[in-house]
Amino acid sequence: MNQATLKRIGLGGITGNPIAFAVVLGLMALLLAIPLTHNGYIEVVFRNILMYAAMAYGWNLIGGYTGYVSFGNVAFFGIGAYCSAVLATHGVDNVLLYVLLAMAVCAAFAAVVGFPVLRLKGHYFGIATLGVALAVADIIANLDVLGGTGGLALHQVDEAHFSLYYYAMWLVTLGSMLGTFFIARSKLGYAFVAIRENEDAAAVLGISATRYKIVAWAISAMMAGAAGAVFAPANGFIDPSITFAIDSNVFPIVMTILGGIGTVAGPFIGALLLAGANELLQRFFVKAHTLFFGAMIVLIVLLLPRGLVWLFGLRGGVRAWLKSLAVYKA
Amino acid sequence: MSDVALRISNVGMRFGGLWALNEVSFDVERGAVLGLIGPNGSGKTTLMNVISGVYKPTAGEVTYGGKRIADVPTHAVCHLGIARTFQIVKPFASLSVRENVAVGAMYGRYGAKRSTRESFERAQELLDVVGLARVAERPASDLTIPDRKRLEVAKALALDPDVLLLDEVMAGLNATEVDEALDLLRSVNARGVTLIVVEHLMKAIVSISTTIVVLAEGRKIAQGAPADVLGSPQVIEAYLGSRWVKRQEQLAVIEAERIEAKRLQPPEAGA
Repeated sequence: MNQATLKRIGLGGITGNPIAFAVVLGLMALLLAIPLTHNGYIEVVFRNILMYAAMAYGWNLIGGYTGYVSFGNVAFFGIGAYCSAVLATHGVDNVLLYVLLAMAVCAAFAAVVGFPVLRLKGHYFGIATLGVALAVADIIANLDVLGGTGGLALHQVDEAHFSLYYYAMWLVTLGSMLGTFFIARSKLGYAFVAIRENEDAAAVLGISATRYKIVAWAISAMMAGAAGAVFAPANGFIDPSITFAIDSNVFPIVMTILGGIGTVAGPFIGALLLAGANELLQRFFVKAHTLFFGAMIVLIVLLLPRGLVWLFGLRGGVRAWLKSLAVYKA
Repeated sequence: MSDVALRISNVGMRFGGLWALNEVSFDVERGAVLGLIGPNGSGKTTLMNVISGVYKPTAGEVTYGGKRIADVPTHAVCHLGIARTFQIVKPFASLSVRENVAVGAMYGRYGAKRSTRESFERAQELLDVVGLARVAERPASDLTIPDRKRLEVAKALALDPDVLLLDEVMAGLNATEVDEALDLLRSVNARGVTLIVVEHLMKAIVSISTTIVVLAEGRKIAQGAPADVLGSPQVIEAYLGSRWVKRQEQLAVIEAERIEAKRLQPPEAGA
């Protein structure tokens, strides 16, 4: 068993392991029942899991499939949140409109920013995207129209709206997941992966790397923006420190990597596990929860370097798994 | 049949202080098989990179059907009908062999007209042609070197080219595999594809080429039919060095003198 075979194990082609995807779809169906508990706390926890999952799907498309590690996707989440906040403060009360506007604005912003930024490669791209995120946060914090650092208060969230926003977030996540699945299987997905594997070789095969990188980033931005657009009204209040939080930037990346980078099931599994574990640890270890949280991430990375999705494709039990670890450490 | 497909005129390519190519000019006729040979470092691969648009030449130009290749972005060169293989093979490691070829079929010259499914069907046909059908499902990084070379050819063919640049696709193959590769190239050429072949294997290049161009230290030193070119003293000098040529000349003189002396020697008396 060589490294190449291992890379393939549990990944099952461009969309990832089909069993893992089926399990994820099943879990999504179960999550539809969460509002029936009429427990506000649980609903918020799972709405946040869905939100992170949608952002993770966004990051997975540019960072996982196209191989461009972006540290700036939180900018799109924030822009999406402000899009719906602006609509809400102008009397529009329609989540669908929020999401559509956020997706359009984010895609346009990603395309404009991506044109110079996506010419950079490797670390330089990562740093530039981080710069974009910081700049957008600072610009919004200094715009009085958008409330500045004081933020914007949206309408009061009542009982009926509470579940509406939960279902809206569920739909955004399902859309991001199915979107990833169908994009990955299409010509577009193969262009993204070709760019990730070897940009020069991709160009010789007729793939305009700049164009497809921008497309990948724009779709990625739409997913993050849609999540932000539902988050703002569900939260009832936004300000730059909430919408451009470092957690919202780092969590989706860690979730994707832990779940399985470049797969359709990975981001959801990572989000469910990480956000769920974070919530539980916070309840049981009020002070030391970050310690356990960090240890958990380190363990997963060490024991399952290709992410949790790998478990679905692992054949040959513990021995095959140990053997595979040896290859990854070599 | 003297329809010029590709015109290389006064091409120069400089890297820092080194002219890797210097005033190289020749025409490639449509349907021809042009062999490009030369010692290591003579600029063969650089010329391939210039023709395929990977490098923009420092001087001169390459035109294809009257269009300057330097004006076309790298990804659009294959849409003109020019495809290439890489000497250092570049498969997409995490994709399967079939997927690798399908990417070419999706984005190559007629890619816009093909659906994903049609691209995969086309890829399968090409894998049959190059003899990789048996490993179609395997990840490309699993392939042996000869199979990776076959994959390079299949990927290039998936672009539906008129001109195919082959950079050492036969290096590392055994005698049987070379014969198979030559048969493959002949059948590709028979379908009207112009070939430009860079190869170190003289036997292979002589048997397939209609014309040979020889490069040495970035300059074209010979061009013509295989037999004429290989007999040329300049080519021999480029490959084997001037001392070897001098030594051969000295040996020839000594041999001539010996024969002359023998002729002048009077026959032994006493017969």
